[in-house]
Amino acid sequence: MDAVLEERGGRRGPAPVRDLEGYRAATRARGELTAYVGMLVFLASWAMLFGGLFFAYALVRGRAPVWPPVGDPRLPLVLPGVNTAVIALSSGALQSALRSLRRGRPSPVAGALALAAGLGALFLALQVAVWISVHRQGLLPSGGPYGSVFYALTSFHALHVLVGLVALAWLAVRASRGAYGAMRHVGVRLWAMYWHFVGAVWLFLYATVYLL
Amino acid sequence: MSALRRMAAVAAVLVAAAARADPRPERGYGLPHDASLDGHRVDWLIHFTIIALGIVFLAVLGMLVYAAVRHRGAHVAAYDHGNTRKSALVVLGCVGIVVVVVDGNLFGHAVDDLNGHFWNFSKVEADPRTVRIEVNAHQWVWTVRYPGPDGRFNTPDDIVETNGLHVPLGVPVILQLASTDVIHSLYLPNFRVKQDAVPGSITRLWFQGQEPGEFELACAQHCGPNHYKMRAVLSVMEPAAYAQWLADAQEDARRGFDPDDAEAHWGWEWKRL
Amino acid sequence: MATHPAHLGHPELQPIHPAPTSFVRRYVFSLDHKVIAQQFLWAGLIFLFVGGTLAMLIRWQWAFPYRKVPVLGPLFLRSTGGVIGPANYQNIFTMHGLIMIFFAITPVLIGTFGNFLIPLQIGARDMAFPLLNMLSFWFFLVSQLLVIASFLVALGPAGAGWTGYPPLSTNIGMPGLGQTLVVLALFFTGVASTMGAINYITTVIRLRAPGMTYMRLPLTIWGLWFTAVLNALFVPVLGSAALLLFLDRTFGTQFFIAGAAAVRGGGDPIMYQHLFWIFGHPEVYILILPAWGIVGDVVSFFARKPAYWYKGSVYAMATVTVLSGVVYGHHMFVTGMSPLLGQGFMLLTLLISAPAMLLVFNWIFTVWRGSIRFTTPMLFALGTVFVFGLGGLTGLFLGDISLDLYLHDTMFVVGHFHFTMAAASFLGTMTGLYFWFPKIFGKRLDERLGKAHFWITVVGLTLVFGGQLLAGYAGQQRRLFDPFQYTFIQGLRGLNRWTSYFAFALFAGQFLFIWNFLRTVFGRAEAAGQNPWEVTTLEWTNTTSPPPYHDFDVIPEVRRGPDEFENPAVKEALGRDWIGQAEEMPEPPASEAGAAKA
Repeated sequence: MDAVLEERGGRRGPAPVRDLEGYRAATRARGELTAYVGMLVFLASWAMLFGGLFFAYALVRGRAPVWPPVGDPRLPLVLPGVNTAVIALSSGALQSALRSLRRGRPSPVAGALALAAGLGALFLALQVAVWISVHRQGLLPSGGPYGSVFYALTSFHALHVLVGLVALAWLAVRASRGAYGAMRHVGVRLWAMYWHFVGAVWLFLYATVYLL
Repeated sequence: MSALRRMAAVAAVLVAAAARADPRPERGYGLPHDASLDGHRVDWLIHFTIIALGIVFLAVLGMLVYAAVRHRGAHVAAYDHGNTRKSALVVLGCVGIVVVVVDGNLFGHAVDDLNGHFWNFSKVEADPRTVRIEVNAHQWVWTVRYPGPDGRFNTPDDIVETNGLHVPLGVPVILQLASTDVIHSLYLPNFRVKQDAVPGSITRLWFQGQEPGEFELACAQHCGPNHYKMRAVLSVMEPAAYAQWLADAQEDARRGFDPDDAEAHWGWEWKRL
Repeated sequence: MATHPAHLGHPELQPIHPAPTSFVRRYVFSLDHKVIAQQFLWAGLIFLFVGGTLAMLIRWQWAFPYRKVPVLGPLFLRSTGGVIGPANYQNIFTMHGLIMIFFAITPVLIGTFGNFLIPLQIGARDMAFPLLNMLSFWFFLVSQLLVIASFLVALGPAGAGWTGYPPLSTNIGMPGLGQTLVVLALFFTGVASTMGAINYITTVIRLRAPGMTYMRLPLTIWGLWFTAVLNALFVPVLGSAALLLFLDRTFGTQFFIAGAAAVRGGGDPIMYQHLFWIFGHPEVYILILPAWGIVGDVVSFFARKPAYWYKGSVYAMATVTVLSGVVYGHHMFVTGMSPLLGQGFMLLTLLISAPAMLLVFNWIFTVWRGSIRFTTPMLFALGTVFVFGLGGLTGLFLGDISLDLYLHDTMFVVGHFHFTMAAASFLGTMTGLYFWFPKIFGKRLDERLGKAHFWITVVGLTLVFGGQLLAGYAGQQRRLFDPFQYTFIQGLRGLNRWTSYFAFALFAGQFLFIWNFLRTVFGRAEAAGQNPWEVTTLEWTNTTSPPPYHDFDVIPEVRRGPDEFENPAVKEALGRDWIGQAEEMPEPPASEAGAAKA
């Protein structure tokens, strides 16, 4: 420590900064980039978890001589298809919120966020409806591999939707209180990354579990 | 068959068994006695690899010891980052030699051993001498099924045995394995082979006994508290003794068959894998 | 990468927060990476002791089957009269494995060193996400509590082996709450590991001091960073396996249940093995990569010589990281796998030995023609090289399918992974503890006790795990309550008993460390000084022992790699054989300005 101080001629600290305002902005941008990197790693981890589940699904399905197995009810296609549109619209609402923020127009933001959250809630409601309908037709988690895969994948995904929509609702409340501005909306961007990820997982799920 | 002839046959088997002794105890510290056709390949490969790697390990250890003795304390260190092309090539060269000699040898022999001797099931299935046996592993017993005179499994003339496996000498024996509860693993130390028995699947294993005697059959996959007791005895028998045993067993099977005992009819039609 | 030295040094970017004052904020719910590191250290060391005790019970059973266990028998084995029975034997070896891997080595090697060293060695004040860091410890603690809870329930803790293969680990094989609690504990510790991994990865990418390029990072940081990458990617796969097993146990789903209990074809137990080993094989590299990094640095420091072919070591660690996900099938050779797939896995498994060998050669060439100082950390580092070399080579036997048909699930496998995991990771951990103890606690451990600890440990480990290799070579299977039921194993009674004696001695020898450690931490000992080892990395050259709350008074500017030893220009200018990473070389005297190169 003393050796370092000596070399600096007894001076502590770096050279003075001239443009403090610009410096502060660069600092904040730098900190935000760190948050995005962290969120990317976080989403990569979750992608691997879902990847493990889909891998399990592929193995289960590969082993089965016929899919769905004889005696299991078929899954509905319409409601989940509607859900696909719902979650896509929700992502769209979220993106419009971000656009408004970037353009420095804070007034539509809270509404857009609330819409995104609301559509997320609608998604969950429809998902519950699908579960009830399929349950009534006799598909149970304990009824064999088909039910196991369906309930495990959809409920684990739904759990992620629930977490996301709670976050979006909270963001909407904060936005209505003016918490976000053109240079201050890291939280919104981070949750947007998460929400789009959840939507992408849904697309993959819809294609492989319902359609294929 | 008259009672007298049967008693004589049993006595002959007992005498033969006594002459061989029970699964022979090993002296420890070495590979178990090899009673198989192909086990010597495994033994050769293990020993070659031990010697090759032993040389490598001792060479590297020697360098370490030499450095510890001569390059310590007052010895002035060399300023060498080792990041020249020459240094890198030296290291890569050392790695390359070991990889080619040891890894390459292991790979080459394994491919040959598997495709030609341990997992060449199609050739074994095509061999007219091959004996087929089904094994059901369950907690904590080995149940074994022989096809009987009709050559088919799960028919009334099947012979079913518990914790014992009888095979003739000098012919291929192929086992199909199943399990009803948890994963077990059939292990024949004296034949250098092993295969898991997995619920929901049929796996297979083949071997050929080259000397008569009794050998141990062990479970090699943790399957519950009594995993350690899941032991069976494999008897490799001379043709005459085997024929005798088979005849007796078929007689017992015919008499003991119970059409209502559904649990005993666990056999399956021999799977084309 | 870092292009604005003035900015990064500016107080606003890495502001110096005032240190917390309340006891709770300082030592319990602390955001300080150094405190969190110590929390992991103590939690890990306690469970290391528990795991070691469980190992002693296993060795007792093989040395003296059916005999009452002294001391521990009356305390913990009352239901079986002080004797180990088959049911509690399976709990013992299961919990031994789980505890050692997840609750002992992971928190100390990765939690402690990662948390303590990453900010300090890269020149940052803390991790990128301090709150997440704190949460990762508390999730980990919850998982440890779940493990303890599993010991207290009626049917005991998990008993299906640390690998937990179904159907044995489903309700068919292991009814009761214990196994479920352990599955949950695994999930929680997985979450903790992933949180930590996010922090480690992001911090190294984003918070390196000016001048700290990737190729100037200490090898320790590379090891920890690659470990974090593997943790982030593959622990979630364990999470998926644990989740599906939990669903099978709790909601009656049928992912892994097959055979008699299955409905409509049922599930596939082998599917669990795929998911588990896709995690499981990277896990073993997770447990060794930090040790590789630490050894790489320490042998350079105490041979007073640059790390030989630093870049080669980094590339080797990177190659191992990439390949680790595609070799996992070698755990499943005898499950009825297709021969083609098996041979593919065999090829990759044999190839992954190459980068590991490269690392060993680099260490040997580092030490060669050095000026070796045999301090305790150096002894442990060299010991790590020895046991890792031995253990790694035994892996080649197992990677070969035709040999694996004989060796799978024998004590040879147990000897192999104990050499590479228990011995190498453990000795690597000890290297780190003895080396960084002065920086963490500000005092010095006793060198003589340390050296005695080293010799007992390395000889003991070699004898014990060598004994296991011999037993496996002779065909003895693993996880046997009473191996001597088999005639072919009866000749190994002596070998097993002697291995146990060596194991008891090895365990006893650890008390040298425990005594040394506790006495120095809690008693009075001489102050360590800032850089007692005379080495070059930032935690030694630019801050005190222990560092203050804010780590660095001034964020350092890095000028060179971590292994500038024996540089002739340095020797001439500074009169010593090392120069710190952030140290400025003095200007050469004006008369030699033209001739000298700095």
